[in-house]
Amino acid sequence: MEQTELVKPETLDELIKTLHQIFQSDRINVEEVQNLMESYESKPHEWRKYAKFDQYRYTRNLVDEGNDKFNLMILCWGEGHGSSIHDHTNSHCFMKLLQGHLKETLFQWPDGKSQGDMVTKSQRVLQENKVAYINDSIGLHRVENVSHTECAVSLHLYSPPFETCQTFDQRTGHKNTVKMTFWSKHGERTPFETTVSQENN
Amino acid sequence: MESREGAAAARDCVLDFSRLSLNTLSLDGVSEDRRRDTKQFYLNYNRLSTLPASISLFYNLEFLDISNNGLTAICDDITRLTKLKTLLAKNNRLDEFSLPKDFGSLPLEVLNFSGNRFEEIPLQCTKLRRLQSLSIGGNRLKSIPTEIEDLTSLEMLYLGGNLISAIPPEVANLPYLSYLVLCDNRIQSVPPQLTRLHLLRSLSLHNNLLTYLPREILSLVHLQELSLRGNPLVVRFVKEMTYNPPSLLELAGRTVKSRNIPYSPCELPSNLVLYLDLASKCPNPKCAGVYFDSCVRHIKFVDFCGKYRLPLMHYLCSPECRSPCSSNPQSDAESEDENSVPADRLQRVLLG
Repeated sequence: MEQTELVKPETLDELIKTLHQIFQSDRINVEEVQNLMESYESKPHEWRKYAKFDQYRYTRNLVDEGNDKFNLMILCWGEGHGSSIHDHTNSHCFMKLLQGHLKETLFQWPDGKSQGDMVTKSQRVLQENKVAYINDSIGLHRVENVSHTECAVSLHLYSPPFETCQTFDQRTGHKNTVKMTFWSKHGERTPFETTVSQENN
Repeated sequence: MESREGAAAARDCVLDFSRLSLNTLSLDGVSEDRRRDTKQFYLNYNRLSTLPASISLFYNLEFLDISNNGLTAICDDITRLTKLKTLLAKNNRLDEFSLPKDFGSLPLEVLNFSGNRFEEIPLQCTKLRRLQSLSIGGNRLKSIPTEIEDLTSLEMLYLGGNLISAIPPEVANLPYLSYLVLCDNRIQSVPPQLTRLHLLRSLSLHNNLLTYLPREILSLVHLQELSLRGNPLVVRFVKEMTYNPPSLLELAGRTVKSRNIPYSPCELPSNLVLYLDLASKCPNPKCAGVYFDSCVRHIKFVDFCGKYRLPLMHYLCSPECRSPCSSNPQSDAESEDENSVPADRLQRVLLG
């Protein structure tokens, strides 16, 4: 079958299984993936084991390595935690809210000539279960949990997987390549991977 | 971030009354044994407007979550919970008048009052000697009391989302502070004394009114996270536009101090002795100069903590004085504008 009919995944495991099926093909239908991820209704007891928080900054917790076609991970954002402005190294990025809310600010790529503040394109607050999509041709973004009282948890899919990305200084457009690390993999804490955070905001 | 995962293993120790639309706390169904054995009590997401006195019947309670109710007050009887280590009271209607007088006697290690209506940090809170984590984010705090320094066990201080306009230097007297959150406030400057926070690992200052940071921040060698977005940080070379030449008094004072001319209270009027004693040394190690009131604000751009060209400020005794060499290995970038601009030309401040 070329087109898979959208069957709502009842559990996280079903979602992962369906993602494996979809990603067997070399061509990604962005809408299909977005709809599939959006139709999974977040059930905390299914992903709680991956949701490991760090006091100081947001964490990246690997859930599934997707046969090398994609990486699926859960990000945990404490109150006030945010990312730097970053790109996605030529990959697709899907982001689903499992709990709480996240603010996404889109930025234009800084052009070589202009110095000074990076240009904001738009901003929105993503609600629970919603899925946002971005890739480098759309632009750059910063993701933040702006709540001072609630944590946020998000499910991210990147295809193809990538280990480094560029971060951008908002005041100057100056960029920096950083290596991304995992706080945990498959529910197990992976401490020796973590080095000094290079991703600042 | 507190979750139930770290809960005591035995289910008997945990009493979950969350999300039951409770207006009052009826303990009729709770046996004597249960009241004695309960260590964790969840009362969050209910409709309590006051914390009932019956809470004190759980005399071995260590963890209490009363978040997301409509609480306007916390009863005096809470102080009878002599083993209480964690109190979560987020998203209520509490203010600085809501707490019992002896609240400070509780052995609390974690206290969360985020999402309430505090305009001040109540003094009772500053008496919690064992407190390791204090969150009063998303309230209406206008300032931080100097008594904050009494929280000598504090490791985490979350005050984001308030109306704070200044950081008292007393914050620097918290020796174990590793996480300081002051984002989304109205802070205009960071006191240089914060350099004493040797264990500071994460400093959150985004969305404030900072134009520069004190140069002393370079000494925070353990700092790994620093957020500064949403501040009007200066981006270009700045010379203070209103440099007033020193007064005759200041010139005389500078000469006395820099030439080590001895003076004593029997020779000089006391006001002059006091004045001379307040001399500040110019931070330039090659300059033996001092200054009193007349100084120059000097800004240098330095890469620090993963940030590019942060404007770091220190005072110099005069525009001709050169800034001290930084021996900090983290700083390397130097503003290329500095050397090309003649010292006597004043430029406009350009805000980021």
